[in-house]
Amino acid sequence: MRTLDWVVLLASLVSIVAYGLYRSRGSNTVDRYLLAGKTMPWYAMALSIMATQASAITFISTTGQSYVDGMRFVQAYFGLPIAMIVVCAVVVPVFYRTRVYTAYEYLENRFDAKTRALASVIFLCQRGLSAGLTIYAPAIVLSVILGWPERITTLLMGATVVTYTVIGGIKAVTWSDVQQMCVIFLGLVVALATVFVLLPHSVSIGDAVFLAGAAGRLNAVTTNFDWNDRFNIWSGLIGSTFLFLSYFGCDQSQVQRYLTGRSLTESRLSLLFNAVAKIPMQFFILFIGAMVFVFYLFAEPPVLFQHTELERIARTSEYRGVEEQYHQAFERRREAALALAQAHRASDGATEERRLADYRGAQQSLDAARAGAVRLVEAGGGEKGFSDTNYIFLSFVTRYLPAGIVGLVIAVIFAATMSASSGEINSLATVTVVDLYRRHFRRGASDHHYLKASRWATLFWGAYAVASAGWGKKLGSLIVAVNVVGSLFYGSLLGCFVVAFGLRRVGGTAVFLGMLAGEAAIFWAFLRGNISYLWYNVIGCAVVVAVAAGLTWLAPGTFAKPGAAGRPEKTA
Amino acid sequence: MPELRDVPDAPPPFLGSWGRVYVAVLLYLAGVILAAYLFARAYR
Repeated sequence: MRTLDWVVLLASLVSIVAYGLYRSRGSNTVDRYLLAGKTMPWYAMALSIMATQASAITFISTTGQSYVDGMRFVQAYFGLPIAMIVVCAVVVPVFYRTRVYTAYEYLENRFDAKTRALASVIFLCQRGLSAGLTIYAPAIVLSVILGWPERITTLLMGATVVTYTVIGGIKAVTWSDVQQMCVIFLGLVVALATVFVLLPHSVSIGDAVFLAGAAGRLNAVTTNFDWNDRFNIWSGLIGSTFLFLSYFGCDQSQVQRYLTGRSLTESRLSLLFNAVAKIPMQFFILFIGAMVFVFYLFAEPPVLFQHTELERIARTSEYRGVEEQYHQAFERRREAALALAQAHRASDGATEERRLADYRGAQQSLDAARAGAVRLVEAGGGEKGFSDTNYIFLSFVTRYLPAGIVGLVIAVIFAATMSASSGEINSLATVTVVDLYRRHFRRGASDHHYLKASRWATLFWGAYAVASAGWGKKLGSLIVAVNVVGSLFYGSLLGCFVVAFGLRRVGGTAVFLGMLAGEAAIFWAFLRGNISYLWYNVIGCAVVVAVAAGLTWLAPGTFAKPGAAGRPEKTA
Repeated sequence: MPELRDVPDAPPPFLGSWGRVYVAVLLYLAGVILAAYLFARAYR
C-alpha cells in the first residue's frame, strides 16, 4: 500500500466511526440503545439491512466465487423478494403490534417461556458462529497486503467495531451502516471501471463479456435440477426463499434493524428496498469477479493466489514442473482468447467454433496445472481441500489497481466487515439481555441496570467474535461457509415462526419438540453430505411444522394451545 | 408478556395499496430472472 492508499483508508474508517458515534448521541435508555427509540427513517434502515448482509466476505469471496465458478451464485438471491413480501405482509405487523424488542420475545407471547429460550439459544449458536467468520475476513486482507499475523488484525478490527457498538448502540450501528454502504457503492463502481481500463487496448468491453461467457463465467441462470447442485434456479427460488424468510423473519440481527422504524410503513419500505436492490447488487459484484477473470486472461495470474502457500510450495522440487506447465497453459489460453475474440468480431461461425474449443481446452489445461499446485500444498502438510478463492480479488486489487483506488477498495472491505460485525454483536447482546438475562436471571431491575448489562453483553460478544475468528478458514469459500452455518439453524427457527403465525391450535411443548426434531433432521442432511445447504431450511421448517402439527392432532389434550379446541384454558 | 397496541396499517406512499406493491415486486422479480436468463443464454 502506498501513502495515498493509507490516507484514503484511514480517512474513510475514521469518518464512518465518528459519524456513527455523533448520530448515536442520547442512547441512554434500553429502548434507545437497542431500538433507537423507534425513530429511524426507512432509507437508513434499508441501507443498514443491506450493510449488515454485505460483509467483507461478500466482496472478497463473491468475486472469487465468480472467478472460479461463474455468476450462478446470484440465483441464491432469487428467493429474497418473495421472502420480503411474506415478511412485510405477515411478520412485521405482528412484531409491531406486540411491541417486542426481539423476535423471540413474541414466541413467549404465542407459546411459552421454554420455546422462547430454545429459539434464543439456537440464534445465539448460529449467529455466534457467524460472528467469528465475519470478523475473520479482513484478517485475510491485511495478511495479503502487509503480511501481518491474522490474530493481530482480527484484534484491531474487533476493537474498533466493539468500541462504537458498545458506546453508541443500534443508532451508531445504523448510521455508520448508511455511510458504509455509500463507500461500498462507490468502491464497487470504481473497481469495475478500473478493471475495464486495465484490459488490453485490443480487447473491448464487448469482447471481455463475450470471453467471460465463453469460459462459462456468465452462467447467471442454470435450469437443471439437482439436489446436490448448490446454485440453480430451483434451489434459488424455493430453497433461498426459506433461507431469507428465516433470515429476515427470525434472525434478530435483521429483525432488530426494521424494528427501529418510525412506523410500520417505514419498516416495510426498508425491506422492500432490499427486495428490489439486492439481486442487482449481487449481480454487479459477481460481474466484477467475471471481469477479473477476463483481465487474468491477458496478465498471468499467480499459480496460487495465497502467497504464503505459494512461497512454501515454491521451495519444493516438484514445483518447477507445475510452474512450467502453468505458464505454458496460460500462454496457450491467452492466444486462444485473442483468436476467439477476433473470430467473434469477424462473425466467422466455423472459425469461432474451432477457436472456442481451443480456448476451453486451454482453460482446462490451466485448471489442471493449478490443481497440481493445490496437490503440492496438501502433500506438503497444508490443509486438505485447500482453496484460495478468498484471495483472488485481493491479489488483483493489490497488484494492479492504482494508488488511492487500492485504499478505497480496502476501505470497502473494512466498512463491510464493520457493518456486518456490529449488527451481529448488537443483536447477540440484545437477545442475551432481553431474552435470557432479563427473562430468566434478573427480572424487574432498573432501566439503567439493563443498559449496563447490554453494554457488557456487547463487549462479551465482541470478544467472543475475535476469539473464535478464523475457525471457518478450512471451509473454503467464506461466502458459502457463512450461508451453510446459517442454514444449519435457520430451518427450525423458521418452522417455529410458521407454526406461530399459521397453526393457531399448536401449543408450546409441541413446537418445542418440533424444533428439536427439526435440528436433528438438518444435521442428518448435513452429515449425509449430498444435499445442498439451501434445502436444509426447507427440511428443518417442514419437520418442525409436521411434528408440531402431528403431536397436536394426535394428543390435543397435551399439545394443543390452552384454550384451543380440544384443550381447556389454563387456570391460575 | 409484551404489551399489545393498535398499529395503523397506513397505505404505502405509491400504488395505493400494499397488495399492489407486492405484485409489483413479484413482477420485478420475474423481469430480473428473465433478464438474467437471456443474458446467460446470449453469452454461453
